[in-house]
Amino acid sequence: MTELLTGLLQETVSGIALGCIYALIALGFTLIIKATEVVNFAQGELMMVGAYVNFFFVTTFLSNQGEPTIGIYLLAFGSSIIFAVAFGWILDWVINRPLKDEPIFSVIMATISLSIILRALVGMIAGPLSLVPYSPFGNKILSVGGIVISVLDLSIIFSAIILVILFYYFFNQTKWGVAMQATSEDSVAAQLMGIPVKRVYGLVWIFSAIVATISGILLAPRMSLLDTSMGFLGLKAFPAAVLGGFGSITGAIAGGIIMGVIETISMGTLSFHFEWIKEMNDIIVWIVLIAVLMVKPDGLFGEAKVKKV
Amino acid sequence: MKRRYEDVSLTWIPVLIVAIFLLPFMLKGMTFSYKYYLFVLNMAGIYIILTVGLDLLSGYTGLISLGHSAFLAIGAYTSAILVDQVGIPFILSLFISPLIVGLFGLLIGFPALRITGMYLGLTTMGFGFIVKRLIIAFRVWTQGAGGLEVSHPVILGFSFNSDWDNYYLIFTCAIIAVIAGRRIGKSKIGRALMAIRDSEQAAEATGVHLAKYKMLVFFISGLFAGVAGVLFAHTSHFISTDHFDILLSIYFIIMVLVGGASSIYGAVLGTLFIVLLDFLFVPQLKEVIQGMFNIESGDIQSLLFGLIMFLFIIFHPTGLYGMWLKMKIYWKLFPFNPKKRLI
Repeated sequence: MTELLTGLLQETVSGIALGCIYALIALGFTLIIKATEVVNFAQGELMMVGAYVNFFFVTTFLSNQGEPTIGIYLLAFGSSIIFAVAFGWILDWVINRPLKDEPIFSVIMATISLSIILRALVGMIAGPLSLVPYSPFGNKILSVGGIVISVLDLSIIFSAIILVILFYYFFNQTKWGVAMQATSEDSVAAQLMGIPVKRVYGLVWIFSAIVATISGILLAPRMSLLDTSMGFLGLKAFPAAVLGGFGSITGAIAGGIIMGVIETISMGTLSFHFEWIKEMNDIIVWIVLIAVLMVKPDGLFGEAKVKKV
Repeated sequence: MKRRYEDVSLTWIPVLIVAIFLLPFMLKGMTFSYKYYLFVLNMAGIYIILTVGLDLLSGYTGLISLGHSAFLAIGAYTSAILVDQVGIPFILSLFISPLIVGLFGLLIGFPALRITGMYLGLTTMGFGFIVKRLIIAFRVWTQGAGGLEVSHPVILGFSFNSDWDNYYLIFTCAIIAVIAGRRIGKSKIGRALMAIRDSEQAAEATGVHLAKYKMLVFFISGLFAGVAGVLFAHTSHFISTDHFDILLSIYFIIMVLVGGASSIYGAVLGTLFIVLLDFLFVPQLKEVIQGMFNIESGDIQSLLFGLIMFLFIIFHPTGLYGMWLKMKIYWKLFPFNPKKRLI
C-alpha cells in the first residue's frame, strides 16, 4: 500500500514537471488567442525552434571556450531570447497581419502549414540526426522522503512559476499589459481609446515566441534527445488548454498541470496494474479531450461563451 | 421531365471519360516508364475519391477535419479483414466497408453537432490518433504495427493484378465519385450545406435541419473515404498504420484548399496537382537541392506543400479552380474587360 502511494506521489511530482511544459506552451497560444483570435497550431514548432537555436548558441560558444560554464549557458539563453524576439516580430508580419480577418478555417490551415514548414526547415538545416542537448544541471537528483526528483524537473517547475508571476505582474500592473487586456476585450474600442492595437499584436506574438523558446530550452534536456518531432508535443498542449478552459490563462496553466499528471500516472501506476492502459498511453490526452468536449466544452476554468446572432 | 439543375455544357464530360480510358495507351506509346506514371495516377485516383468527400465536408459545410486519414485507414483495414479473413467477395466489400466507415463518420458527426471551428479540428485530430492506436491494439486481426498484406481485387473471377488493371477499376470509381459529389453539391443537400457554412443561425431559421444535415455530410464523407480506403488496401497489397498519419490528413486538406474549397472540380484539380507534384517533381527537386547545397534535404515535400498552402491562403484563397474561373471570365469578355476584379 505504501509502495503504491509513494509511486503515485512520485508520478505526481514528475507529472507536474511535464505539466508545467504543457502549461507554458498553452500559455503561449492562449496569449495569442486572447488578443488576436488566431489559433496558433505552430506553438510546438516555435518551442522546437527555440530549443534548436539554444543548442546552436551553446555549441558555438563552447567551441571558443571549451569547458561549459554557467556563464555560457546564460549567454546562450540570452541570445536565444533575443532570437525569439526577432522571430516573434517576423511571425507577426508573416502570419498575424495577413490573416487578421480571415475565416477560422484559413487561419488554422495557415498555422498548420507554418508548423510543417518550420519542422522541415529545421530538419534540413540541422540534419537528420538527433542531437544530445546540453544541460546545466546534469543528471543530479534530489531525494526527499523516498521521492526522487531531478534538479531538471525542479528547474522546470521553478521557471514556470517565475514566468507566470512575471506575466501576472505584467498584465495587471504595467501600462502595456493593461493595453493588451483592453485589446483582447474589444480591439475596436481599444483603438478608439488610443491604444496602438497593431503594436500590441506584435508584442503578443513576441511574448508568445519568448515563452515558447523558454519552454523549449527547459524541455530539451528532459527529452534526452533533440529532434524535430519535439514539435508534436505542442499538439498535446491543446487538449490541456481545452481541459482548463480554452482562452483563459488560469485555465491554460491548471489544465496543463492536470494533463501532465494524468499522463504520467497512466503511464506509470495504471499501466502497471492494467494491461490494456499500456496500449493507450500516447492517446490518453486525446481521450480526455473528447470527454471534456462532450461533457463540459468550456473546460474547468473557462467562461461559458454566449454566441450572439 | 424536369431537369434538376442546369449545367453550362455537359458535352465535354463523355469526351473526358473517353480520354481518361485511353490515357494508359497513350502513356504506353509515349514513355517506357509508363508503369510508374500509372502507379502515380492510381494514387491520384484514390485520393480524388477521398478529397471529393472531404470537400463536401470541409469546403461545402466548413467543418474542418484533421483526421481524414483515419477514415481511409478504417476503410482499408475493414475491407482487408472482411475479404481476407471473413471471406466476403471484393465486390461486396466495396459496398459494405464504406457503410461501416460512414457509421464511424456518424460517430464523429455526433460531437460535431455541439462543437465547431478549432474544437472540431482538435477532435478530428484526436480521432485520427486514437484510430491509429486502436488499429495497433487489435493486433489479432490487424497484425499490429507490422502491417497487413492484402489480396488483389477480384471481380467475377477477373483478378486485377497490375497497375494497368487497377487503373480502370480506380478511375471507374473515381468518375462515379466525382459525378456523385457534383450531383450532391448541386442538389438540395449541397445548398443546405453551404447555408450551414455561411451562417448556422440563418440556415436554421430558413428551415435547414442542422443536426440532420451535419450528420448526413459526415456520413457521406465517410462513404467516400471508405471507397478510397477499400481501393487503397487492395491495390497497394500492403497496409500499415505508418501510412495513415496526421501529415496525410493535413495533405488532404491542402489538396482541397489548393484546388479551391466548395467546388468538386477544384478538389479534383488540387489532388492531381499535389499528387503529381509529390511523385514527379519532388524527387527531382531533392536531387537538385542535394547537389546545390550539399545538405540532406530530409522533408522537402512537406516544406514545399506547406509553402504552397500558405501562399494560396494568403494570396489566392479561391484556389486553382478560382484561377480557372477568373481566366474563363477574362476570355469571355476579352476586349472589354472591366478594370475591377470580378472574383
